[in-house]
Amino acid sequence: MKILGWIVVALIVAVPLWGVLLFNTLVNLRNQVQNAWRQIDVQLKRRHDLIPNLVEVVKDYMSYEQETLNKVIQARNQAVSATTPETAIAAEGVLSGAMGKLFALMENYPDLKANENVARLMEELSATENKIAFSRQFYNDSVMALNNSVETFPSNLIAGMFHFKQATYFEVPEGESAVPAVNLR
Amino acid sequence: MNCPECGAVNKAGAGKCVQCGALLARAAPEPARPAGKVLHRTDFLAAARANRRATRRLVFSLLAILVILGYLCGWSLQLVIRGIPAPATDVWFLSLWGVRTAFVLLTVGAVWSWVAFHGGDRLVLSLTGAVEVRPAEEPVLHNVVEEMAIAAGIPRPRVFVLETGAMNAFATGMNPSRAVICVTRGLLNGLNREELQGVIGHEMGHIVNWDIRYATAVGVIVGLIALVSDGALRALYFSGNSRGSGRGSAGAPFILLVLVVFAALAPMFAMLVQFAVSRQREFLADATSVRLTRHPQGLISALEKLGASAEPFRGANRATQHMFIVNPFRNFTERSSRLYATHPPLQLRINRLRNLGASM
Repeated sequence: MKILGWIVVALIVAVPLWGVLLFNTLVNLRNQVQNAWRQIDVQLKRRHDLIPNLVEVVKDYMSYEQETLNKVIQARNQAVSATTPETAIAAEGVLSGAMGKLFALMENYPDLKANENVARLMEELSATENKIAFSRQFYNDSVMALNNSVETFPSNLIAGMFHFKQATYFEVPEGESAVPAVNLR
Repeated sequence: MNCPECGAVNKAGAGKCVQCGALLARAAPEPARPAGKVLHRTDFLAAARANRRATRRLVFSLLAILVILGYLCGWSLQLVIRGIPAPATDVWFLSLWGVRTAFVLLTVGAVWSWVAFHGGDRLVLSLTGAVEVRPAEEPVLHNVVEEMAIAAGIPRPRVFVLETGAMNAFATGMNPSRAVICVTRGLLNGLNREELQGVIGHEMGHIVNWDIRYATAVGVIVGLIALVSDGALRALYFSGNSRGSGRGSAGAPFILLVLVVFAALAPMFAMLVQFAVSRQREFLADATSVRLTRHPQGLISALEKLGASAEPFRGANRATQHMFIVNPFRNFTERSSRLYATHPPLQLRINRLRNLGASM
């Protein structure tokens, strides 16, 4: 009988403690999702800052490619001025497409690639592209972790009680997943 | 296929050799499978889960060895000093002293680990002679480290370079926010960006999986087991010499014999478990690298290059060997890696990575 009493006491202590642990895990996951979203933003800003520098250095070598350079600058300005997440995602997609075309064209200019400044900027930009991709990947991983916790038993009980919502994945916009069309003229 | 008897070329699936008529094996022989367990196709999350389970089992068995050792010591003490089995209990193998000693040993292990967690990792870094580099000096390395840190969702670790031609890398730091990644100059020169990313992803894996802490705690427990076993054997030896007026009970010799055997074997088993833990964590870090890069090919070709590189590495010693991405003493072959190796054989790691790649 005495043992039974102790078991009851242990349960009374353990169950709320467990609930607190689950709640804290959920809060951590939610914060991680929000932080991951901001990380994407940071990397996008960095790309916006780097592009004018690259265009400035490159334009002397690539005077015949004025059209592509203009497109890059235009797409960049559109991405900077985007206010809502929807327009931002769309504009970033266009920008990525234009950048991909510029990188492909730069392959045709050997002296350009030999330029130390250009090489440094290219490394910075491709690193930034990678960082954008990786921060998106981390965001989506975090979303998956949060959504799993919100949906699975027993954390779904706590999630329902304190209104934890599922987060939405960052889908790759059309313009980026599509292979850029190459114009051979 | 060729006839095993005369070597003549036959059509695939032919029953008899066209030259000598010898019976041919109907089915084509299985492609040579590397020694070791059959690998099931898997994804990196499942691989990580399996590795964590294996580590938990190993750490649990290590703790079990410590507890049994403590229990036997306490029990023997009770028998030798008090000369009675146990006044308070009816069950012959229940010893209050045994429970107490086991508990004391667990506590000592916990406190010792805690102390080791606060300091010690810096020392290792200075032992190897690595130098910290700024982003301006090594822009590509810094970028790759930052990319992997973003993918893992941790602050960017500090970046060190070891000036040696050997190709290797390691990570240290007791928690992800104070971590350090170190690569050798040979690695920087020999790998392309993708391969470097795979290697840095592996090191980032060690950091996010808290492997430095794991290794430290496991090392502490193994050390404790060795210490207590040694102490018990010495005490038994001296008490055996000086025991004149035997006050021990009838059960004492048997228990003492068990203690001697256990104390003699426990340190060796503990070390084997330690190496097994280290190997599991390497597999886990490989799987984590793939989770971060989503590109197993980079790490695969990096490991192949590391395995093929012949440059000797003088910056490592036995105390730091377990930290590196490949063992600096170059025990890459299957045989040497069986039990007494800190790293799994390279070929097995590469096969497991290929396996991850197949499902992606």
